[in-house]
Amino acid sequence: MLEARLVQGSMLRKVVDAVKDLVSDANIDVSSSGFSLQAMDTSHVSLIAMHLRADAFEHFRCDRPMSMGMSLANLAKVLKCAGSDDIVTLKANDDGDTVTFMFESPKEDRVSDFELKLMDIDSEHLGIPDTDYCATVTMPAGEYARICKDLSSIGDTVVISATKDGVKFTTSGDVGTANVTVRQNTTADKKEDQTIIDLKEPVALTFALRYLTSFAKATPLATHVTLSMTRELPVMVEYAIQDMGHLRFYLAPKIEDEDMEGEDEAP
Amino acid sequence: MGIHGLTKLLGDNAHECIKETKFENYFGRKIAVDASMHIYQFLIVVGRQGDQLLTTETGEVTSHLQGMFYRTTRLLEAGMRPVYVFDGKPPELKRAQLDQRLGRREEADKGLEAAKESGDAEAIERYSKRTIKVTKTHNDECKRLLRLMGVPVIDAPSEAEAQCASMAKAGLVYGVATEDMDCLTFGAPRLIRHLMAPSSAAQPVQEFNLETALARLGLSQSQFIDLCIMCGCDYAGSIRGIGPVRALEYIRKHGSLEKVIEALDPSKYPPPDPYPYKEAAAFFTEPDVTPPEQLPTLKWAAPDVDGLVAFLVGEKNFNEDRVRKAAERITAAKSKATQGRLESFFGPVTVVQNANKAAKEAAARDAAKAAKKKGAAAKPGAAKGGIVKKAPIGKGKK
Repeated sequence: MLEARLVQGSMLRKVVDAVKDLVSDANIDVSSSGFSLQAMDTSHVSLIAMHLRADAFEHFRCDRPMSMGMSLANLAKVLKCAGSDDIVTLKANDDGDTVTFMFESPKEDRVSDFELKLMDIDSEHLGIPDTDYCATVTMPAGEYARICKDLSSIGDTVVISATKDGVKFTTSGDVGTANVTVRQNTTADKKEDQTIIDLKEPVALTFALRYLTSFAKATPLATHVTLSMTRELPVMVEYAIQDMGHLRFYLAPKIEDEDMEGEDEAP
Repeated sequence: MGIHGLTKLLGDNAHECIKETKFENYFGRKIAVDASMHIYQFLIVVGRQGDQLLTTETGEVTSHLQGMFYRTTRLLEAGMRPVYVFDGKPPELKRAQLDQRLGRREEADKGLEAAKESGDAEAIERYSKRTIKVTKTHNDECKRLLRLMGVPVIDAPSEAEAQCASMAKAGLVYGVATEDMDCLTFGAPRLIRHLMAPSSAAQPVQEFNLETALARLGLSQSQFIDLCIMCGCDYAGSIRGIGPVRALEYIRKHGSLEKVIEALDPSKYPPPDPYPYKEAAAFFTEPDVTPPEQLPTLKWAAPDVDGLVAFLVGEKNFNEDRVRKAAERITAAKSKATQGRLESFFGPVTVVQNANKAAKEAAARDAAKAAKKKGAAAKPGAAKGGIVKKAPIGKGKK
């Protein structure tokens, strides 16, 4: 038996809208610790890791860990029917093949419920090692989204380099080149405008812009986004979900290589 | 010709081993391509109308070059690294099969003549497909073209698909691109279908995973080889009256083809004479291939643009603009950095099978078994149903 009541129901919609273009079907795992989701896009270039803590819910009950497979596009359709201030309640039976969403308006004058069919999906899991990142950049989420959008109009790959002078985003394409540099700013009046760069070692990595742009769909979730980078490892793009958990994206870098011998080794 | 009915058998009994994916997802992968099979396909498909093939002004056939050039460009543009493997001398075991094909071709030749005389367009179409033959010239021209494109070429001592399989087994390449299912019988861990299909066909790429197939069928590789021989392969005939479904059932029951033959009633199911199944099994297990460590290092070079223009435009009447543009696209793709995959940083993916699904499938299997015990004609696969569509036409070889 699962029951979870969330006052800020719109948060769920924002999470699903942020990930549904990268992954079409996914398993949402529920346990006594909360909701979590790990999924990769079909080319295995990017990964989504989401966690919502049980204590963030007004009411949370999960008797037995369960895995609910669903089409994220369909889930988004259902969540779209919730009003922005609605309270959302999720219910599912242990061996059922549906999950019920109940939306209650704040004035309690309207109640709707939607039953979504579940799917059986084999999930692919990756063990993500704990990493000490060389550079961690926390910047306004809107600024990150804007950089991605601006650079996408020029090129399709971006080099992100973090040095003591700041973080530089560089791209080039048929029409020319573009550079955007973000500097540390901890003196801004509003906390939302601050940028914090924590640099242990300079690092530069190359990424496909379309994935980074897709991650920016999570912008409505948080004021800030954190990019964590280490040499020759995937970047982690993290959005905190208001005291409730996090939504993380991992993206494998592009590699300048001549020949990766044996790279194709069968597992 | 591959293995009779294997695709359907896998679809019905081990559909987990078949994955449909996008062409673009193979970026950065090294892939062994069964060249001889594809050349044959190109001759059939590319620009053919009735018995008229795509030719130069002097009447030399260029369908194979057209197909090879543009489809290979497509692979390279997507960041793949193909290595083409050509057939060598056919094995002695295949003699019977080849003789049969020769006979059929002669028949088709006669049929084509008759059809032309009577002007029956449909028959011309049908027979001309069957008269097509890959010659040494076709192969040599394709090799020359590929070398100019900077793509490595390997001559197999015998069967190309066996050579491809051994390279994939050794980890030199990720998988084998072919339409011939017997590549799995030769032990290729991954077989990739429709990779060379034209982009206009918008066909999803199918990847067969041998390990999953064996696990789902509950067979060892040597039992799988026996199963393929029973289904009907290029190297031995098949037992009349026993198709893929029965073959699987008997191999599961008796453990090997030898025991199956002992158990079968020879008056009801006489094995063909001769039936060199042991030789065929030995050939599938240890085919005549160049050991992977003796192969030259695989290298992908920049295309020789002038060489390509001289060959394709100068000798083969290709459109110069299109050739130059394609060469440009190859060069551009080569200069790009390769997109990495998360597995290469975080280690292999573990696939967690959904508990519900596993339970449901077990139930379906039990139900099928129970139905069978009752004497009903339910086939093991019927309960689950096949998910794989039948392969399209034109997948044959020679």
